[in-house]
Amino acid sequence: MPIAILMPAYNEAGALARALAAIRDTAERLGGATVFLVDDGSEPAVGIDILPAPSPHFRLVLARHVVNLGQGAALETARQLALTSLVEPGFEAYITMDADGQHGVEDVAALARAIQDGADVAFGNRFGTSDVPMTRRILLRAARWFEQELTGLHLNDAHNGLRAFSKSALELVPIRQNRMAHATEIKQRVSRAGPLRIVEVPVTVAYTRETLAKGQRAAGAIDILRDLLQEYLFGEHP
Amino acid sequence: MSLATVALLALVFSLLVHDWSTLRGKNRRAFLLQIVVFVAGAFFIAFPQRATELAHFVGIGRGVDFFLYPVVIWLVRESLLTRRLRMLDRERITQITRALAIAEARSFEIPSAVARAEAPPS
Repeated sequence: MPIAILMPAYNEAGALARALAAIRDTAERLGGATVFLVDDGSEPAVGIDILPAPSPHFRLVLARHVVNLGQGAALETARQLALTSLVEPGFEAYITMDADGQHGVEDVAALARAIQDGADVAFGNRFGTSDVPMTRRILLRAARWFEQELTGLHLNDAHNGLRAFSKSALELVPIRQNRMAHATEIKQRVSRAGPLRIVEVPVTVAYTRETLAKGQRAAGAIDILRDLLQEYLFGEHP
Repeated sequence: MSLATVALLALVFSLLVHDWSTLRGKNRRAFLLQIVVFVAGAFFIAFPQRATELAHFVGIGRGVDFFLYPVVIWLVRESLLTRRLRMLDRERITQITRALAIAEARSFEIPSAVARAEAPPS
């Protein structure tokens, strides 16, 4: 059965075109792939000219936020599009993937296999396989400790955008956090959803000047804490 | 008049002048309220014994505490209410933006009949 790839994108023109082309080229091997691409208010908007042509195994659904809301919001839009998609015979796995070129399609296949093998949720784990810069490593270790305390889930990689869900698991993780705190929120929801089979899959994250420039910084961690506190105080508790 | 009094009065009036020049006639009612509050504040900065008399009248030791207690309580409440309202507004904008995005989503695919013809025989 085919897989669904949920991909938020914001001002990623070149990297996005390469990521989509790579998915298209391997779509047949993946058993068919539909990309739910949400342009989160990019300027200029994601144009049709950068989209690869559809093939018998590759399909793309493009939605656009007229204003930039944040990666979490774009992922939630992609989630809703994928879950309500009428594509037959449905999707075997739902993969979240960044559009900036730091994720590879081989890892998408590995995550999909984990779901095919019976996992409900598969989280990508970059440690041991990727050359993570020192500052990023320290930040992610601190985030891992914080998330373990918050969610009770003992995962090695705190904020990896490569994840896979079965349909029933994806239905349990609506995302309310519009910005980067969605990664923590997803783990909170998975943790509280009841008995789910959760696995970690080794994945490679490619750190380039481009991806590091758009990646999270220490100040971003403060934003995440503030968003989580705000949701705790005023929102629906996941 | 002490140095602290002069400094505080200068702060109050420079803030008023700054807000007057940046608002440029907008939010007139809110600015009027700000003037009233700031002028009252300036009065009690200039004549602190009046604040102390008021504080003693209601059973509070220092005049400045008479003003600080309610101001801090009000500011905390105002901050929480504002954050909550901002969050509600953000949720509404998110819902509208998402509904629009989903309604106008476009699908790029080969029609199934064509796909069957192009797909290699299994």
